[in-house]
Amino acid sequence: MPGIKLRFDRYKLLEIFAPVAGFLASIVVLLIIVIVVGESPGEALVAIYKFSLSSSAKVATILSVSIPLFFAGIAVAFAFQSGVFNIGAEGQYYFGGLIGAMAGIYLHLPAFIHIPVVILFSMAGGALWALIPAILKVTKNVHEVITTIMFNSIALALVNYLVNGPLSGLGQGKSLEPQTAKIQSTALFGKLNGFFRMLGWNVPDYVYLDYSLIVAVITGFIVWFVLFRMRHGFEIRAIGISLDVSRYSGMKVKQLQLSAFVISGALSGLIGLQEIFAIRGYYTYGIASGLGFDGIAIALIGKNSPLGVVFASLLFAFLKQAGYGLQFYTSVPNSVIYVITGLMILFIVVINEIVAAYIRTLRKKEAV
Amino acid sequence: MSETLLEMRKITKRFPGVLANDRISFDLLRGEVHALVGENGAGKTTLMKILYGLYSPDSGSISIKGGKLSIKNPKEAINSGIGMVHQHFMLIPPFTVLENIIIGEETQKFGILNEEKPAEKIRGLMEKNGLIVDINTKVEDIPVGIQQRVEILKILYRGAEILVFDEPTAVLTPQEAEELFKTFRQLTAQGKGIIFISHKLDEVLEIADRITVIRKGQVVKTLDGNEASKSLIAELMVGKPVLLEVKRPDVSPGRVILEVRNLDLKDYRKIAVLNDVSFTVHSGEVYGIAGVEGNGQTELISVIAEAAPIEHGDILLDGESVVNWDVRKRRDAGISHIPEDRHKYGLLLPFTLAENLTLGMHHKKPFVNSFQIINRKKIQEHARRVISIFDIRTPSELTPALALSGGNQQKVIVARELSAEPKLLLAAQPTRGVDIGATEFIHNQLMEAKKEGRAILLVSADLDEVMSLSDRIGVMYKGKIIKEFTREETTKEEIGFYMMGEKEHARN
Repeated sequence: MPGIKLRFDRYKLLEIFAPVAGFLASIVVLLIIVIVVGESPGEALVAIYKFSLSSSAKVATILSVSIPLFFAGIAVAFAFQSGVFNIGAEGQYYFGGLIGAMAGIYLHLPAFIHIPVVILFSMAGGALWALIPAILKVTKNVHEVITTIMFNSIALALVNYLVNGPLSGLGQGKSLEPQTAKIQSTALFGKLNGFFRMLGWNVPDYVYLDYSLIVAVITGFIVWFVLFRMRHGFEIRAIGISLDVSRYSGMKVKQLQLSAFVISGALSGLIGLQEIFAIRGYYTYGIASGLGFDGIAIALIGKNSPLGVVFASLLFAFLKQAGYGLQFYTSVPNSVIYVITGLMILFIVVINEIVAAYIRTLRKKEAV
Repeated sequence: MSETLLEMRKITKRFPGVLANDRISFDLLRGEVHALVGENGAGKTTLMKILYGLYSPDSGSISIKGGKLSIKNPKEAINSGIGMVHQHFMLIPPFTVLENIIIGEETQKFGILNEEKPAEKIRGLMEKNGLIVDINTKVEDIPVGIQQRVEILKILYRGAEILVFDEPTAVLTPQEAEELFKTFRQLTAQGKGIIFISHKLDEVLEIADRITVIRKGQVVKTLDGNEASKSLIAELMVGKPVLLEVKRPDVSPGRVILEVRNLDLKDYRKIAVLNDVSFTVHSGEVYGIAGVEGNGQTELISVIAEAAPIEHGDILLDGESVVNWDVRKRRDAGISHIPEDRHKYGLLLPFTLAENLTLGMHHKKPFVNSFQIINRKKIQEHARRVISIFDIRTPSELTPALALSGGNQQKVIVARELSAEPKLLLAAQPTRGVDIGATEFIHNQLMEAKKEGRAILLVSADLDEVMSLSDRIGVMYKGKIIKEFTREETTKEEIGFYMMGEKEHARN
């Protein structure tokens, strides 16, 4: 029936409208702040543009920055889909990254095996770090928000100790930053810049578009497929909607929660790939922090869908770059971007709710 | 001609997308019971909320004893002599009857509660209306029927002359309902007016002096109590002729499908909620459980369908014990379940109808292949077939379940559970909150399933429903099946007698 098809698309359009409106609203707020600070809004926009979209190098940087953000977003989104509030992505990628790095340092393998192995070890590490809170949740009903926050602190302290102590590689290195030994060259991620240049996209060498981009694309596809095309994903989404209905219809709710939690941890383990295996080549507790928390915001804005998370992580990367631009070219402090990011999340979530309520009324009317 | 107590004229109320009340005119005379009937969503509740000051009408006027007024909140409604007995009682269980009645109207001196004066006034009211209650007991310790008396006393205490009863008999046994109607007569004899909202047409016919039928926000007709008939009212409500009698197919019961043996279950306070329950349901048979709600029916269903743990006893499906099976195994073995609380258990509201219609079978072929990949085509085909067989009104099978009306959502659940082709169907309150049209449909589907030789365990608070569908009836009281009848050998009154607990009754 073509008529129904058309209406269905109208709802889709409405759903897309929400994030766009939220984005525009927060840009308006940004410009007001800029005026209050005494800068010209025009200049601010130019500054943002110059630092984010003005050249292919800048666009490539956004893509590069978005890769770990994407992993963080999809990890959190996967747990959210099942109704599990995993805010421990932070600890899971610290630990997962360490395990991955260990495999990169101490295993001797040819590159075509070594790289998949470090990826799997990173995931296993993340999964392991999620396992204890997951078990506590399903067996003892301990709320995961509490345990995962605690596990973030534990992970940080643990890697701090390990990197400073037993696993310190300072003896061989020259840097004063506490770090592990160097990862073997067979486990390091190469860059795809040359490949993109071949396609006619002029990506300069200093931008990191490395193998982790490929991992991200494959991961995104697999997650989408599992969630929306496989029975396991269907059940995971079902328990996220209603535990009661799921239990009533025969699903093994506890097992599903456990698996969603652990898979989310495994995905979190991928967050550090780019920094550890492409940028640094060693592991340190100083790897970028806070990504696990960005992941929560990204999942929220992306409505927990893999495609939504793609856009949301690109948006976040853009905002990060825009912040540097503002700081560099104007006297607007970089922290304003954090304010704007926060507002944007708020706007988008609120507008999402309004749109969802509106769609519900439209649908009710139509269904009689 | 007696005085007009209340006149609502051309009341219109519009909600986004719905015209809930469309120029509704309704009046109430002194000394009459005026019934207000209509399907769910017809606009009864909206009209009463306007009267009680919870909504303000977009247009129209309300006059009480000839004087026009606008009611802005419930306080003003109460002051104008309007009292409402809600379906769900507005009582505070740990407070005494007296405290519940005077709450908000306490008489006090220097901040000290004076309970003597109100107690006297309440005693007066009790005697005058035959509503005897011990005012010093806590509300949590008295049965539902008596709690309702407290509600009535509460509004009389506030001087109500216009009394609104929203489905007051839903929680009562037939005997308690008779008591309530006696009270109605006493109240009207004193010149009060009663607005009676009910789904039970027999009761409406028994008690109402006038009956106003509304449909889709409009008054269809106001009938005189003695010129009305059940089929006429039903037809006016639905807008087309309705078959009120369920045609029970003549099927002779086959082998035993469900056997429940000596089930015991205690709740967290160690109080027995199921007490030595035993019965059997045969194929092609409907076994109805009658009883006042809260006597163990919910628990009985949950131990059979939801694999809730039991203390003692056995549950056999087709001769095999299912006690240690999880829900999935029980479903796969042929147990289907129309849940009592469909909002909580029935549907994944944001999911499509297609997905909802396969829930519980979604893990089996052909809905998934050997690699556990969902076959969306098969799911949608199945959905389209079920939607057409069960006449579910929806734009498409890809519409989310939340977009459907309550009656259609209930149809989705019934359709899904029957399309699983179960050996045993547990139907818990299958038509609660569903309008006449959908009720008729669901009843026919249950009878269809009976014809196909399925065993059906029906639990319903609606005694008429149990009586008209069941082959055998078990009465549950305090977790026990205290009496079992075949349908032919019993009457509504007799069952009502057992519903209140045989022994308790014998003592009086």
